[in-house]
Amino acid sequence: MTAPAPVETLDLAARFPGWVTPDSRPGYSGWIVEKDKLLDFARALRDDLGYDYLSSVTGVDYLPEGKMEVVYHAYKTTGGPGVNFKVQVERRDPVEVPSLVSIYPGAEFQEREAWDLLGIKFTGHPDLRRILMWEDFAGHPLRKDWREAYFEEEFKPFKSRWPEGKFQMAEDKARLGDNLSFPAGFDPRKKTDFDPEKALYEALRQYQKTESGLETEHLLVNIGPHHPSTHGVFRVAVVLDGETIVNLKPVMGYLHRNHEKIGERNTFLMNMPYTDRLDYLTSMSNNFGYALAVEKLMGITPPERAEYIRVMMAELTRIANHVWAIGFLLNDLGAYFTPMLYAQEERELILDIFEAVSGSRMMCNYFRFGGVARDLPDGVLEKVRDLAFDRLPRKVDELENLLADNEIIRARGIGQGVLTAEDAIRYSTSGPLLRASGIPYDVRRAEPYSIYDRLEFDVACRPNGDIYDRMMIRFDEIRQSLRIIQQTVKQIPAGPIMAVKPAYQVRVPPGEAYGRVEGPKGELGFYIVSTGKSSPWRYHVRAPSFINLTAFGPMCVGQKIADLVAILGSIDIVLGECDR
Amino acid sequence: MTLANVIEWLVKGLVWVLILLGGFAYLTYYERRALARIQVRVGPNRAGPWGLLQPIADAIKLIFKEEFMPARADKLLFTLAPIITLTPALVITAVVPFGPESASFQLFGRTITWYIADLNVGVLYIMSIASIAVYGIVLAGWSSNNKYATLGGLRSTAQMLSYELALGLSFIAVIVLANSTRLLDIVEAQKGMWFAVLQPVGFVIFLIATLAEVNRAPFDMPEAEQELAAGYHSEYGGMKFALLFMAEYDKMIAICTIAASLFLGGYREPWFLRDTVLGVDQTPWLGPLYVFIKVFILLFGMIWVRATWPRIRYDRLMAFGWKILLPLSLALVFLTSIGMLLAEQVNPLYQWGIPLASLAAGFIAILGMYQTLRRKEYARA
Repeated sequence: MTAPAPVETLDLAARFPGWVTPDSRPGYSGWIVEKDKLLDFARALRDDLGYDYLSSVTGVDYLPEGKMEVVYHAYKTTGGPGVNFKVQVERRDPVEVPSLVSIYPGAEFQEREAWDLLGIKFTGHPDLRRILMWEDFAGHPLRKDWREAYFEEEFKPFKSRWPEGKFQMAEDKARLGDNLSFPAGFDPRKKTDFDPEKALYEALRQYQKTESGLETEHLLVNIGPHHPSTHGVFRVAVVLDGETIVNLKPVMGYLHRNHEKIGERNTFLMNMPYTDRLDYLTSMSNNFGYALAVEKLMGITPPERAEYIRVMMAELTRIANHVWAIGFLLNDLGAYFTPMLYAQEERELILDIFEAVSGSRMMCNYFRFGGVARDLPDGVLEKVRDLAFDRLPRKVDELENLLADNEIIRARGIGQGVLTAEDAIRYSTSGPLLRASGIPYDVRRAEPYSIYDRLEFDVACRPNGDIYDRMMIRFDEIRQSLRIIQQTVKQIPAGPIMAVKPAYQVRVPPGEAYGRVEGPKGELGFYIVSTGKSSPWRYHVRAPSFINLTAFGPMCVGQKIADLVAILGSIDIVLGECDR
Repeated sequence: MTLANVIEWLVKGLVWVLILLGGFAYLTYYERRALARIQVRVGPNRAGPWGLLQPIADAIKLIFKEEFMPARADKLLFTLAPIITLTPALVITAVVPFGPESASFQLFGRTITWYIADLNVGVLYIMSIASIAVYGIVLAGWSSNNKYATLGGLRSTAQMLSYELALGLSFIAVIVLANSTRLLDIVEAQKGMWFAVLQPVGFVIFLIATLAEVNRAPFDMPEAEQELAAGYHSEYGGMKFALLFMAEYDKMIAICTIAASLFLGGYREPWFLRDTVLGVDQTPWLGPLYVFIKVFILLFGMIWVRATWPRIRYDRLMAFGWKILLPLSLALVFLTSIGMLLAEQVNPLYQWGIPLASLAAGFIAILGMYQTLRRKEYARA
């Protein structure tokens, strides 16, 4: 599939003369907006042109040009191709760009991330703190001139591990690293007064007001990072009035490993298994998004059979993820593991198929640029057919029968943790969270990729946006995925599975591409900038788990602690993707 | 009260406490196996034949764990709390009879009965002891110097207050039916018919209230793993945790024994077996066996509920307790009293009006719940 071409349909340069110029670098598309006019431009884009959904905000450090760039991708929730606009600023500290939070509140976390990792200061941001790194971290790691203490080389494969295979740890060569620097006057023996938590608590405090007139005190509770139901090392600092939530701030980054920096050192193909580790429950979908982005840059299309296999695997992943999500939501509601284990049984069967096709149950690493790694082994198609036509429809009905009318689930779910349709769009939520709020927005339909435009399925949508709807929409989506799998099983053609000759090193022409797929958790986007070298210059992941959490705080305020856990479960996050 | 009397109580008490402690160990095994079966798993099956030594392995692990105390915990209360929680759980069943008087046997020239104490206010004793147990939980939560634990302790207090009332009123229905507060009389009064049949809704209320009383799912608010990590015992480890755990499971056993005595005829045979050889009057030593079977089945009910139901939210729990259970159990006391009055004054057949009235009241309560509480809670924003 070729890159969408918004340039022809929408001439922004003519509409906003002087503000906007087309991006004319080779391989690039979109528009460059004047920094001073960014807010006006974004407002006009949202209100007049209908681009109400800001999908992705990220920065790129063009060190050789001495520029920093902030890249925005906006879409219409009614569907269609998006608009890609950029702001360029001089690469001189402080790098300042106006914040878009007032227009697109969904930019809040993403701008914090860009500040944290790239040091782009968003003026007017309400709460510009670090988000993935800790508060007293020095520097901004995604800048091209930032080097870690044990820095070896700019690009992989590192010479120390190649070609003789003599493996020597960098930390053995230089015990404290070559690149260690301390702030002036730093003495490791002295305790510093710096409290890394202070900024967080300050940010929370501004909402702490008692209303009853009684001399009461709010209780600040840290839920997580070690807590049974935060689905990993996620932390929420909650201000409580009794058991009612007054305010909360999510804190993440405990699983942060700077995925993007590592990705920019890896070669293009080395990133493929690395995307498995983002959302480790849905590795096939992650592969899909990354493969799409790089294929857009390379200008290749996979052969027909590979497309069918890809879609089949992506939909199986969706089912596996959704039964898992339903099971764990029930667990969060206090059902002692029984629904979860029932749901997991089906997931195991799907993982059997993944194991057969890719050799691994979770870290599949199955997609390649221009196809898939291996053809389907004998018997797998029959297995998929059995699952899609017989077992899964039966089991999904059974699960729904058991859960949908349960009195406690209804009492805990209906009308709780409501996210209105307007808020769902404003906070850039995606996936089941957005669709349960009554917005039938699905990338598979809104901007079809692969062969989805040829397949017959409906976009599941539920109107109320509460916990119960978010649970039920997952059942609906499983049914739609089953329809898709049934069609792919019937229609899959014979033929090659790779469009190009498989190679360890792919040649990616310079340019940028944004590949997005409808992952099980939401819109998963990969923004890739290539300079024609073996590694991407910029490798950014638009992680749905991360951005969906923007709406978490507003959903929880006024609810009880028990609801907080259920709401988090109904968003369905995976920390591997959220913290990256 | 002679020395021999004291020795008899001591020995009986010791035996019963040991049974309870052993019962606790194997209740955990029973629960894990039953949960595993329900959850399509196998459960512990490695230590010993069928995993039967698993509780012992667990006990050894807990005994050898480090005794840990949070830095700013209240040391005295932190140590005392598990004891305060466990003691009521052990002594509460002292008044429950496990066999009829006819099953008493002679030992060292003394008649040994199948109960530890024969209190004529047995039901009141149970009520008062049951409400002490909550102190241990509150103190454990408060002394831990941990916010989750404090919240758990607070929840426990509120929950106990609201469910104690319904529990007490369902006791009263039994007292009215049996015309006595002595447990031996209550059990004997069920010779003809179990009170669970005569007062079905009262029995259900009793079961719900006891689930709340022993903090079992779906009323396990004070622990609420998914919300409060482990609630009041977040900071406990090793043997202190084992004591709290023991208290919870012993309370389960105790409450099931009491439920069996109050509503399911205690050591009496099922009413339809009264005149057969399986009757307790004919074969007195079957009494303890019947108690065991009834407790076993009731415990399975508790485990079953835990395995299948999500937890209801804390404020809903309170609303349910105050708005539904309390008025309903009050109505049941009233209906039972009228039924007994009519049965005594007019015709014994009027006794059968009690279950009918009870079911009708239960039906009205469910209807009311459906109309008011449920509607309101399900209103979409």
